[in-house]
Amino acid sequence: MSDTVKTDPTGITIEIVYRGIFQKTLAQRICRSVVLAARKRGYTGTAFGRYGDSPERNGVPAKYFAVVAINDLELEASMAKYEPSVVDIAVAVDDTLVKGVESWAWYGRQPIWKPVHEGGAVLVTSDKTPEDVLAQTDTAERPYLLGVVPGLASFAGLWVFKDDHTDYRVLGALAKVVPQWVRIEDVKALIQEQTKDGSAVASAQDGYERTQLRQVKVGEGTPDHEVLQFDKPGWTTMRPGVIVDARKPGERNPYYKKYGARTLRPVVNFDTCIKCTMCWLDCPDECFEVTPEGHYEVVYEACIGCGICAQVCPVKDCIVMVDELKFEDNDDKWQMWKTDHDAYNRWFEQKSGVSADPKKVAVASSRAENAAPGANPTTAGGED
Amino acid sequence: MAVEVREKQPSDVETEQLATGCEAIAEAIRLADVDVMAAYPIRPYDGVMQAAAKLIANGKMDVEYIVADGEHSQFEIVKHACAVGSRVFVGSSGVGWFYAMEAIAVTAGLRLPVVAICGNRALDDPGAFGCEHNDALAVRDLGWLLCWAETAQESLDFALTAWRVGEDKRVSLPVAIGLDGAFLTHSQQIVKIPTQSAVNSFLPKFDLGDRLLHPDNPITIAPQVDQDWLMEIRMQNDQAMRKALEVIAEAHADFKRLFGRGGENPYLDEYMTDDAEVVFIGQGTLSLPMKVAIRKLRKEGHKVGLVRLKWFRPFATADVVKSLSRFKAVGVIDRDYSFGSPFYGGVLYNEIRSAMYSVEKRPTIVGFIAALGGREIEQPMAREMFDKLTAAASGGLRSGDITHWIGVRN
Amino acid sequence: MTVETHGTGTLPQIKGVKDVPYDELFVSGHRTCQGCESALVMRHMVKASGPRTIVLGSTGCMYVANTTYYTTPWVVPWMHTQLGASGSAALGTAAGLKVLMRKGKIKDEKINVIAFCGDGGGADMGIGAISATLTHKDYNSLILLYDNESYANTDIQLSSQTPYGAVTTFSPSGSAKRLMHTRWKKNMPGMMAAGHPESRYIAAGCAAYAVDLMNKIRKALELGGPTFVHTLDPCPKGWDYHPQYSQELGHLAVETGIWPLYEVIDGVCNLTGPTRQIAEGRKKRKPVYEYLKRQGRFAHFADEDVEHFQATVDKMWTEWLIPGVIPFTVAQKDQTLLRIEKRPLHEETKTA
Repeated sequence: MSDTVKTDPTGITIEIVYRGIFQKTLAQRICRSVVLAARKRGYTGTAFGRYGDSPERNGVPAKYFAVVAINDLELEASMAKYEPSVVDIAVAVDDTLVKGVESWAWYGRQPIWKPVHEGGAVLVTSDKTPEDVLAQTDTAERPYLLGVVPGLASFAGLWVFKDDHTDYRVLGALAKVVPQWVRIEDVKALIQEQTKDGSAVASAQDGYERTQLRQVKVGEGTPDHEVLQFDKPGWTTMRPGVIVDARKPGERNPYYKKYGARTLRPVVNFDTCIKCTMCWLDCPDECFEVTPEGHYEVVYEACIGCGICAQVCPVKDCIVMVDELKFEDNDDKWQMWKTDHDAYNRWFEQKSGVSADPKKVAVASSRAENAAPGANPTTAGGED
Repeated sequence: MAVEVREKQPSDVETEQLATGCEAIAEAIRLADVDVMAAYPIRPYDGVMQAAAKLIANGKMDVEYIVADGEHSQFEIVKHACAVGSRVFVGSSGVGWFYAMEAIAVTAGLRLPVVAICGNRALDDPGAFGCEHNDALAVRDLGWLLCWAETAQESLDFALTAWRVGEDKRVSLPVAIGLDGAFLTHSQQIVKIPTQSAVNSFLPKFDLGDRLLHPDNPITIAPQVDQDWLMEIRMQNDQAMRKALEVIAEAHADFKRLFGRGGENPYLDEYMTDDAEVVFIGQGTLSLPMKVAIRKLRKEGHKVGLVRLKWFRPFATADVVKSLSRFKAVGVIDRDYSFGSPFYGGVLYNEIRSAMYSVEKRPTIVGFIAALGGREIEQPMAREMFDKLTAAASGGLRSGDITHWIGVRN
Repeated sequence: MTVETHGTGTLPQIKGVKDVPYDELFVSGHRTCQGCESALVMRHMVKASGPRTIVLGSTGCMYVANTTYYTTPWVVPWMHTQLGASGSAALGTAAGLKVLMRKGKIKDEKINVIAFCGDGGGADMGIGAISATLTHKDYNSLILLYDNESYANTDIQLSSQTPYGAVTTFSPSGSAKRLMHTRWKKNMPGMMAAGHPESRYIAAGCAAYAVDLMNKIRKALELGGPTFVHTLDPCPKGWDYHPQYSQELGHLAVETGIWPLYEVIDGVCNLTGPTRQIAEGRKKRKPVYEYLKRQGRFAHFADEDVEHFQATVDKMWTEWLIPGVIPFTVAQKDQTLLRIEKRPLHEETKTA
């Protein structure tokens, strides 16, 4: 099988799947560069965000598109469209996105490869191996080419962009898998023009060379992710007057679970917890359940990984934020602590990398060491 | 044989009043047991608010009367009072009506049966407060029902009908009643005030059912929607508006039975049309000087008549077509403008032509724009329109592809 | 664990974090950003008010993000209203309930009416309607203004509540203009308090002080008549910081004196929380730089911008008639007439 993607001769469609707001600028830059690099060969193209994602929310998966066509006539098929229904390449610029994309209510949880045609590609930026990434990706229904672009997820904010060359590496990776549309020479020339920075150009070459490819066959991946799909009602059954039923007390919203918005999840050391209530009280997403003993258990079906609980917890390493890709399910964990205390503590230590032993704890402000590199700017002149 | 004389209660006796269109509406508010109304000053509609205030101050009715800080707030206040189950009333004129447009648009989208009068007034600047219909016409695409009254009596009758039809569960849409500024809002006429018991038979209690906003009924009203949902919601509105034609006809029949008024047809009134060769069609009080003109013309031997459209939305296409197909020519009198429209015609002109498009034997349809900015229709103007209409009648269909501005100084 | 709902005839003040009710009336599954303090305010708002509540939500993040695409996280009845209409929604709902109860058309009982608005919809477009509602003393309602200091839902544009110099999409920092937005934040809660003497309760709060906030909401609902609470909500999207620091930034906003916490009850002003401690001299105001440097929206600030910011906050504390509340200074000649003590409390030396 080929290490490049076969596409329609009239054009190519690429989608960037990204973490809303954190990677908005990154996604835009990649898509614009795809079109501008292809322009060097006389092609035309369009780049656009998916309007329904707007307004973007921190962490909620969103999509940006780049379409290249050989001429304006062929481009028309991709214009005035809400989103392309089929793409040649899906690029996930955060590897936790391979666990599924849930963008808004009724959307369901969709596999990262869903719009990718047979023989298309899924590129993922990650510091992990293709096997590790594949182990968290939904079972393939069509064969596709998996590419891992080396590097951590690049997160920034709306106003201060983190220029860590992720976009250049991704462009290099795209040049590797669709050289007929995105030539590495054109990519490097474009970057040189725009930045006059040799290291930026080198990063593109780096992405081109070091992206690891792996052919994925039908049936490979994990069947363990939740199936979350909906059939939408029509006008004859929708309640008149734009009305929906309220949530029942104790219920969580079944039409929008939102756990797909997290890149980290909190793990709790119930032994060192002092039951101060702050994690439960300060969670904007109501992700804690109060246990009969007064502990606060994380509901992983609801948690979006903001990290506030870890920050407000007054006990060092009682709540630790951990890379989401280390987990395979959304099961709540307090029961495990109750029924098999030692097994839970081993699980806690294995996931978090810190000891569960209360003797090693000091009551101090917890620094979330594993927190994703955030947007806290250093340009304003202070460490945070 | 002794005859037992029961002392009649005031509300059991039909009375007569000399009342303006606005004051007649105030009586309707009293009879309908409106719960909440919101007021804001702008002429000429606010006569209704002044009249209502007097009724409240003198203990004649119990309504929450809120003076708002602007028209947008006015219409928002009653919209929300309606959502918790109140029967409501509100109104405005001209640019005030436009200031409320956001609230007006969404009230229909939410299917809330707010009843409003529009005291028709020119949009100013250019500054004027005389009668033009463009204010009320602005709701025509939004899902509001819209009708025009001819007399103070009809104003009261339409108000009662508005709550009856709007609140009907099959419809559940807001209703606007056009009252020509000055000519109807401020003109005192003899009005029969119905009995409370008759009104109670006509108008059931307002019941939102499972759409009521209340802690005992857990719902979310109007979550945000996207392209996956909005078209279905609009479809529901379309269906409700179609149903409204039927519900209006039912209400009309019921009204006639209880009050003995309402004309032959729920949607339009015909005057001297039986053997007419040409007719005029229009809305609101322009019918009155036109009827005077028609009687004069008839004396001279001309076969001319008038159709007065009562309901503009929903547009009773079948009834309008059935009526107008009988004539050689139709002169549409628009007390409004629609700059740049096909043949530069007014709003009603283009709607009538659209309705008549597929009729095999179509009349010539001529457009007239008259009596804007509070100008009245004088008899010479009516004459001029008749002459032009007659000339067009013998000229074939295309002689209708024209709009005449009547009574304008050069 | 089962959640019980119960009638809220009275809303007693919450004694501490352990006394906060467990009932959740604004539940998981809303499309807000990671770290959204406005969402936390929503959660605390209805936690405080209890289930016999109707919420009207005007257009903004707390409408679009929460009730996104034909679903809802609200357990209590909720209805959308227009961007500038929260005042009118509160008034219309309260008036409707009142008259229906008076006429016997619905059961006569206490129902909380809360209308919320963002800073754009409340302090800008809808300020007129809010002001009107605060004069209608016959109707019970709470208007809650959640302030994330921008029109956040439309992807961050400046409002009258955006702080001096902050970057938004309408005030980017560029080579010709370092600061495009140089207007100081309009004093909304103070304005409402000063202008509406018949409103029995006006307050400024913050979700970083959750119990203080919930108690303010309860007080407003219990006192009755039209009331107003304004919360300052750190916003990771608009302010550009990692979401985990939302609580910390709320604390800093108060501890720097930028956002004083207070309430005005029946015409009497109380300072609350750290604001009280600052006024009493027990706590020193932290430099505003501690707060500004944490946020990308101030990343372009030069020294002079920080100095101006600090100077304005200092002035608010040393010269205003009531710090953070009433921005009048009193002319020398009138100070004795009006019995104004010129020297601020926190400058007095502590007596034993």
